[in-house]
Amino acid sequence: MVLADLGKRITSAVSELAHSNVVDEKVFDGMLKEICSALIEADVNVKLVSGLRKSIKHAVNFKELPPAANKKRLIQKAVFDELVKLVDPHNEPFKPKKGRSNVIMFVGLQGSGKTTTCTKLARHYQARGFKACLVCADTFRAGAFDQLKQNATKAKIPYFGSYTETDPVKVAREGVDKFKKEKFDIIIVDTSGRHQQEKELFAEMVQIQQAVKPDQTIMVLDASIGQAAEAQSKAFKESADFGAIIITKTDGHAAGGGAISAVAATRTPIVFIGTGEHMLDLERFAPQPFVSKLLGMGDMQGLVEH
Amino acid sequence: AFGFFRNIVGGKTLTKADLEKAMTAMQEHLSKKNVAREAAVQVTESVEKSLIGQKTGSFQSIEATVKAAVEASLRKILTPTNSLDLLREIQTKRSGSSKRPYVISIVGVNGVGKSTNLSKICFFLLQNKFKVLIAACDTFRSGAVEQLRVHARNLKELSEREGGVVELYEKGYGKDAANIAKDAVAFGEAEGFDVVLIDTAGRRHNDQRLMSSLEKFAKFAEPDKILMVGEALVGTDSVQQARNFNAAFGNARTLDGFIISKCDTVGDMIGTLISMVFATGIPVVFLGTGQNYQDLRTLNIAWAVKLLMS
Ligand SMILES: Nc1nc2c(ncn2[C@@H]2O[C@H](COP(=O)(O)OP(=O)(O)OP(=O)(O)O)[C@@H](O)[C@H]2O)c(=O)[nH]1
Ligand SMILES: Nc1nc2c(ncn2[C@@H]2O[C@H](COP(=O)(O)OP(=O)(O)OP(=O)(O)O)[C@@H](O)[C@H]2O)c(=O)[nH]1
Ligand SMILES: [Mg+2]
Ligand SMILES: [Mg+2]
Repeated sequence: MVLADLGKRITSAVSELAHSNVVDEKVFDGMLKEICSALIEADVNVKLVSGLRKSIKHAVNFKELPPAANKKRLIQKAVFDELVKLVDPHNEPFKPKKGRSNVIMFVGLQGSGKTTTCTKLARHYQARGFKACLVCADTFRAGAFDQLKQNATKAKIPYFGSYTETDPVKVAREGVDKFKKEKFDIIIVDTSGRHQQEKELFAEMVQIQQAVKPDQTIMVLDASIGQAAEAQSKAFKESADFGAIIITKTDGHAAGGGAISAVAATRTPIVFIGTGEHMLDLERFAPQPFVSKLLGMGDMQGLVEH
Repeated sequence: AFGFFRNIVGGKTLTKADLEKAMTAMQEHLSKKNVAREAAVQVTESVEKSLIGQKTGSFQSIEATVKAAVEASLRKILTPTNSLDLLREIQTKRSGSSKRPYVISIVGVNGVGKSTNLSKICFFLLQNKFKVLIAACDTFRSGAVEQLRVHARNLKELSEREGGVVELYEKGYGKDAANIAKDAVAFGEAEGFDVVLIDTAGRRHNDQRLMSSLEKFAKFAEPDKILMVGEALVGTDSVQQARNFNAAFGNARTLDGFIISKCDTVGDMIGTLISMVFATGIPVVFLGTGQNYQDLRTLNIAWAVKLLMS
């Protein structure tokens, strides 16, 4: 994610204000306008940006500020808080435990990176001493099972799938039951890509979920997604109630604002980010350092504690 | 959606100040439709320019004027200077003296729908009784070859009765894509295929190494058409994707068209269409509207503009 550009613009908008001699309402509005433009350019949802503008205005409450107040500091803090709020849902993601079966189901739009990421995640847990495996419940996409199989083989992770069965619910159930019996700690279920406009595909997702009863459902989102992110992620949330988000392709050029909007719209934490096409290209995610990075930080870090 | 026109009063000459609010609102409207900000700003600025100095008539006529100006601007972006009739071009080439098949390669970033839309194009060509060779030149992504094998098998079944012929040319994984492409075209020529459709691996447009290999690829495969798949879901990045791919084939070669995929997943937020064409001037050849073989459309500009203005 090239957050640098967005971060630079926000930081410079804020510091421009910090360096101006008079901080009046006009300067304040100018800064807000610049921040909002930068956010929209980064694909943050347009409505969300209007909301953010209002929240910052409300938090600073310029008209009521006592003359002695440290305006600059107040404004900086308000901007920072609102940005953190955008990516920090204050919801703790599920943490798998060893010695029991933890079922994790992947859902998401077509081509977002589910199949690639589920092997990355299995490998991540495997490297940390979990007994991990993969179930291919995508019976729709051409070559889906081969894709998962080849990845799993490369990573030396046991897998389950079928070339002939066309019902993903059945394959998912069989695979999960089998691996549960074999006492796997982490059972990851890959599913087909889908979108909210196709009701049947959503119904199928719910059926798979009912069949495998996942401890955690993860929505995978492409970092380059634009304004459709909010509606799609909300719809997935309503149907599948996913408890975590993974953002993929952050090695691309996109600023990732669409994915951030999905976090805000669903109050769901990002747990990992995908940083490339290879097996090891997966990183843990934490919101505060993310915003710090976003803002080119350092000088604003101190504000978090206040 | 256009409540902002209330500020404009009738019977006066419009100034920049009069239009400021309307233009900001219009920019926001286009942003909501997933038009990249850069494109949205340019569209509204050109509209503003065309309206400053105009005398306002009744309230209604102003609203109509502004909307019409934006509509015209969007229509202008989407209207190609010369339209591509793929079937005619293939026929012309095949009836010429050269035995070389008509070569189309499909490029784009990861996961946008290259292989799927290649298969849809193949279906379309098979319906028109062409003999099509699919070349599996994504030698990197797991399952890429098997994916095309399944499509080739399905398409064969679907078209056998109608007389279309389709085959897969593949050399497995790990090998150089440009070489395979070249060999596939030679094979297609020897075997009398009408069209060779070349699938390529997805690549980030900011990955120097992978992008620079496209130049060699184009040199080796000598495609008649290079089509880029861009997906309707993508936001601002669409502009840079389009620009970088358009510039990747060396000085003498550009993209020939876009396939905008996943249009069925974005409702009326089809701004990517505008962003990619705005960035390059390269026309949209097809829209992907679903995951099945028949889900391929040509662009209806009136439809697109109507959705964008709704
Ligand atoms: N650059 C980059 N590419 C990625 C990343 N994650 C996945 N990809 C690529 O994105 C493309 C699509 O990934 P898949 O894993 O097939 O996506 P999917 O969500 O399973 O797709 P469907 O099953 O068809 O819905 C592939 O080319 C992957 O190599 C990432 O973090 N960075
Ligand atoms: N809804 C919808 N899905 C599409 C469309 N086109 C492709 N897809 C889906 O998008 C996913 C990715 O498609 P692929 O054709 O594998 O994409 P690709 O660009 O070849 O991917 P890589 O080779 O991994 O870079 C698949 O699940 C397709 O079914 C479309 O027009 N609409
Ligand atoms: Mg998949
Ligand atoms: Mg492909």
